[in-house]
Amino acid sequence: MTLTERLGLRLEPRAEAKTLDRVLALASALLAALILCGLLFTAVGVNPLSALGALLQGAFGTWRAATETLVKATPLIFTGLATAVAFRARLWNIGAEGQVFAGAMFAYWCQSALAGTSPFLQLPVVMGGALVGGGLYAGLAAILKTRFRVDEVISTVMLNYIIVYALSLLLLKGPWSEAGGFFEQTAKVDPASQLPILFDKTRLHLGFLVALVAAALVWLLVRRTPMGFEIRAAGSNLRALEVQGTNKARVILMVMLISGALAGLAGMSEVYGVHYRVKAGALATYGYTGIIVAILGQLNPWGVVIAAILFGALVNGATFMQIKTGVPSALIYAIEAIILLFYLAGWAASSFRLRRIRA
Amino acid sequence: MIADLLETSIIISILAATVRIATPILLAAIGEMIAERSGVYNMGLEGTMLMSAFTAYIGAYHTGSLWLGVLIAMTTGGLMSLVFGFLVISLKVEQIVTGLALNLLGSGLSIFWLRAAFANAGQTPTIPFFGNVPIPLLSDIPFLGPILFDQKLLTYLAFLAVPAAWYFLFRTRYGLELRCAGENPKALDIKGIDVSARQYAAVVFGGLMAGLGGAFLTVGSAARFVPEMTNGRGWLAIVIVIAGLWRPVPVLLATLAFSFLDALQLQIQGIGVAIPYQLLLAMPYICAILALAIRRSRSGAPAMLGIPYWRK
Amino acid sequence: MTTVPRLAVRHLTKRFGALAANDDISLTVEAGELHCLLGENGAGKSTFSACLYGLLQPDHGEIEIDGRKVELTSPAKAIACGIGMVHQHFVLVPSFTVLENIVVGTGSGLALDMGTARRKILDLSRGFGLELTPDRLVSDLSVGEKQWVEIVKALYLGARLLILDEPTAVLTPLESERLFAVISELKAAGIAVILISHKMNEVMRSDRVSVLRKGKLIGTVRTKDVTRDDLTMMMVGRPIAQVHARAKTSHGKAALQVVGLRLKRGADISLGIAAGEILGLAGVAGNDQDELLETIAGLARPERGRILLDGEDLTSLSVQDIARRGVGYVPSDRFRDGLVSDFTIAENLILGQHWDEHWRSGPFLDDAATAKNAEAAISSYSIMASGPEMLCGRLSGGNAQKVILAREFAKARHLLLCNQPTRGVDIGVIEFVHREILRKREEGCAILLVSEELEDIFALSDRIAVMFRGEIMGIFPREVADIAVIGPLMAGHRPEAAA
Repeated sequence: MTLTERLGLRLEPRAEAKTLDRVLALASALLAALILCGLLFTAVGVNPLSALGALLQGAFGTWRAATETLVKATPLIFTGLATAVAFRARLWNIGAEGQVFAGAMFAYWCQSALAGTSPFLQLPVVMGGALVGGGLYAGLAAILKTRFRVDEVISTVMLNYIIVYALSLLLLKGPWSEAGGFFEQTAKVDPASQLPILFDKTRLHLGFLVALVAAALVWLLVRRTPMGFEIRAAGSNLRALEVQGTNKARVILMVMLISGALAGLAGMSEVYGVHYRVKAGALATYGYTGIIVAILGQLNPWGVVIAAILFGALVNGATFMQIKTGVPSALIYAIEAIILLFYLAGWAASSFRLRRIRA
Repeated sequence: MIADLLETSIIISILAATVRIATPILLAAIGEMIAERSGVYNMGLEGTMLMSAFTAYIGAYHTGSLWLGVLIAMTTGGLMSLVFGFLVISLKVEQIVTGLALNLLGSGLSIFWLRAAFANAGQTPTIPFFGNVPIPLLSDIPFLGPILFDQKLLTYLAFLAVPAAWYFLFRTRYGLELRCAGENPKALDIKGIDVSARQYAAVVFGGLMAGLGGAFLTVGSAARFVPEMTNGRGWLAIVIVIAGLWRPVPVLLATLAFSFLDALQLQIQGIGVAIPYQLLLAMPYICAILALAIRRSRSGAPAMLGIPYWRK
Repeated sequence: MTTVPRLAVRHLTKRFGALAANDDISLTVEAGELHCLLGENGAGKSTFSACLYGLLQPDHGEIEIDGRKVELTSPAKAIACGIGMVHQHFVLVPSFTVLENIVVGTGSGLALDMGTARRKILDLSRGFGLELTPDRLVSDLSVGEKQWVEIVKALYLGARLLILDEPTAVLTPLESERLFAVISELKAAGIAVILISHKMNEVMRSDRVSVLRKGKLIGTVRTKDVTRDDLTMMMVGRPIAQVHARAKTSHGKAALQVVGLRLKRGADISLGIAAGEILGLAGVAGNDQDELLETIAGLARPERGRILLDGEDLTSLSVQDIARRGVGYVPSDRFRDGLVSDFTIAENLILGQHWDEHWRSGPFLDDAATAKNAEAAISSYSIMASGPEMLCGRLSGGNAQKVILAREFAKARHLLLCNQPTRGVDIGVIEFVHREILRKREEGCAILLVSEELEDIFALSDRIAVMFRGEIMGIFPREVADIAVIGPLMAGHRPEAAA
């Protein structure tokens, strides 16, 4: 007898969860997450409410702050979309982290060959390079899966580690390192290749608009096209699709190429929109955070945009919070994970129902 | 230069380092193997090891006792796995996603706590770490002695875990039930056996072992905690379980193979061969992919691995 | 002297929402009796046996074992009360040995005590006329042998009431005979056996029959007092048409020609089906019928041989090219191979054709066109659904099957491949499917029908072929083929060569 049976209860999956149940469950999950985070704040001797206030102020308090939130959100929109597309097809692409690097690196390689030319040439090349670089790196994992049966979960994680070392090779006294510099980074990129700023005195760049366009395109693709039909079918029952003659390997490859390309754009947006250099510090963490964003956004492009902005607010507000209250900004990574865990629990809880059984 | 490598003392040094490097990975891999045998795919191993490494460090720092640090690390691993188990066994959440969340939690919490605890110190303080405990008589055997019998206690524990795991899985009643849970949980359920309880036990055991493995990284060798210091060892443990066909002895061999490469790479760096060190550091990950590609399939995996079970 | 019945059930009721799956059922089963539980698909047999085994808890009612009231709240409780169950789909671990499968979950102490267990198992199996080799891997066993393991598994746990759920669905006629021999031994030992079945010839071998219809117990009768038609009447509530009147079709040239086809095992397969002809393929599951159909549909490549449709070689074509030439394929596992549960009816109907210009407007899918198509299918196939947007995962088995039929029949202009089309659906749907298949036949389509239900094969086929271990054992016209001819072939016994 299971433990729950001994208590006279049974956990039964629901046939379909009502929206109200879902909303209630998710709201209580969020509340529980907030309470736990509040406890973390208290543990470091800070009043959670004042910390929260500092967070909000840092995220949205001024025009500059609000635009900065959107700047921080941009790469997360890209990696969130990348992950959402793959997860929709039940392809566990954990490699957005590395695909961001690959996109940035390939874009830089193409663009630096064209340094000095017009922005009308360099900007499209930068975007195209990011799409291709990220796409190909994800495509590598796709081929490892279809031809060599290597689980994409493992191959993408391994590839994440490998590309960081590859970048280091290029940047540490390597062919890409800044002449005369001490840090592992490239020289500043040609101003003609930098993404135009949208509003004066802010850092909000064209990448944000590209991200919104990408979200719209992903929505159209998944919901309304035959390719999207295949992605959704693959995520639900790949076998039924195969029986109708669809080539499984083709679907896997297409999904990974699209996913990697989207992640690659995140790399481009950070290098050419914010830092104007290629360096590991500019590119890290967006991939893994993008996974949380995708799940919280329920694998829906618009959900991803909203979740990305919220997380951008967290990251942006955290620096201000650290200055004002002394709480290390690294806390937000823990907060992100806690929110995710409670979200998962809440979603799952609303998929089940507790029933009494006669003991 | 190759001649330098072939000198006996260097070989002994490399092999002894292999055994040492293998310790945390072997502990985590044996634990993960048991968990996966029950059908649960704990991808959060990396985060669990990392968090345990940290709590071992901070525990040892505050209590002054290394063994208390180890105990605290084990508890950390067990607790994290309990949370993981609740989500994936009772609530049937997707195992891959939950494992990821656990990794992110371990990563975030450990960095945050480190910063919070030592905000004022310029550099994180070191703690003493375990010394070698040579086994009398056996450690005097030429060649093998220094390699196998002059290691830390946690290392001996890790290697003893291999035959213990074998005996448990293949010679005990509970081991049979555990393997059944991973192959066909319905077969157990239909006999009135509690599948969830056994999966919980396996997952928590995996967490305890990951905790030991994480502890070894700080109180066993590095003496301080560095953010992200597990550096993919948790993932390697998962790869090793697959490459080792979910059986204790092949898992041991796979662990030794990877650790040997790592030990070799360290030695080569020391000698100054003209191979870029980044390539050497990337070797384990490249080899992991190659190992899986050569194996070309998941044969040997418990049939219901990763698939949550409930009575339909 | 009245003896206490082994099992007494009083007023058992189990509801799922508004539906009463079991409605006020009362019956008894005596020790040493073979009691059949008869009913069509959906009548409530599985729910009843699940209640007896502790998998479900009834809303009302009482259960008594040997006169003692019991609360069967879990399988563990049921086992403790001496109730054992052999499920329709075996619950075995293929990579374990027979011994391990039987022993797992039992015993005490830490170490495995295989020696005692082995002796007990050998005693049990020999005592009931079964031959079990404890150290063989279950994956090496035949289907019949696996069933022996399931039976001994239940006996090992001390079953005094054994429930057999559709046990002969996967057995050859010969293996079914052996099963009934074992059942006699069980009866002689005082064990009560409940046989859940919908196959008439087996039902007639029981001592008593309880008939369920739509959740209610219609009645419990002594088998020797009734006829098959009586039971059918009780089961369905109306007589069913046994003979399908059909026009004699002129057998022209073969539309489908299979020449020297070699699958992974067996011998070369050659057969031909004319336009407007139904070839029924008889054989229990696991003799590569699925592989044959999948190869013809293009999902697998044969080792050698050719497949011709109206003279055109299909052997190396892709699945989609074959489908475009007018071939439809109804797979046996409808929710695994035929439908995407999370898709709507409209979406499932265009599965496989989702790139066709027919269903697109520009780069996007044309929702209006697919919805119209779905509405037409819902009406012509009488699919009980709320509309084209209903998710297929919510449909009942019968309605889900109709969606697949709607899609595949539309594709099948020249050839229809049908695998187990009536599995797990109620009599009304079975009749519907039979009518639709005959309609296809009249339209001039060649039809290859694979079914474990010999009733289907006998009712529909113009010719009958038997398949065993990847080989065609013989092809006969319907008039000649009956169970005496087919049965042995299904078990792999070739007739003696005629002198």
